[in-house]
Amino acid sequence: MILHILNRSPGGSLVYRDALASMGPDDRLLLIEDGVQGALPAQVRHFEPVLDRLFALREDLVSRGLEGRCDEAVQVVDVDGFVELTEEADKTVSWF
Amino acid sequence: MRYALLVQGAPYSQQASHSALRFAMALPERGHRLDSVFFYHDGVYNAARLAAPPQDEPHLPDAWRELHERHGTELLVCIASALRRGLLDEREAARHGKEGHSVEPPFELTGLGQLIELGRRCDRLVTFPP
Repeated sequence: MILHILNRSPGGSLVYRDALASMGPDDRLLLIEDGVQGALPAQVRHFEPVLDRLFALREDLVSRGLEGRCDEAVQVVDVDGFVELTEEADKTVSWF
Repeated sequence: MRYALLVQGAPYSQQASHSALRFAMALPERGHRLDSVFFYHDGVYNAARLAAPPQDEPHLPDAWRELHERHGTELLVCIASALRRGLLDEREAARHGKEGHSVEPPFELTGLGQLIELGRRCDRLVTFPP
């Protein structure tokens, strides 16, 4: 299993499409930095194929005033959870 | 596990350095060892010896230095990226006939081969891009 890390909002960059296209059936996607905007109900549809494997970083949601505003399908993790996701993955790929 | 981080974003311009530092500080608490941080592209500015940010803002070069002092984390700076941006240690400054230097230990100028080696040696390599 690969952990894919995305730091761009789907509203500002199309790189999320490359990330989704390269994801295997068990891979996970973590949204960080401006990428957390993709976890909002208005944008989460872009991640439809991986909704059961979609994570967002709490600290970056908080710093943008977005905590508690994520779509309910998204699993919110803090930085310890980020580390845990990297433990569970064989490797990580960062998209930007 | 043994971790290495690759930092490619410029400090104070992009979030990459802050994200990487936050991740780095969480590692020991989960029982991991952070072997090395490799600074590449604009990430090399994290090694600027003369950085003097306002006192109420995080001092990134000092924060990396503290990480080295506490956990022995190597702070590796891509030499090709660094020289282009005016980041020279004493040896390179002398070699290029420059007065003064802008990189000092614990930051080390090193080659890309070290990054390949990190990927081989560490269990996880996590990239923080611009």
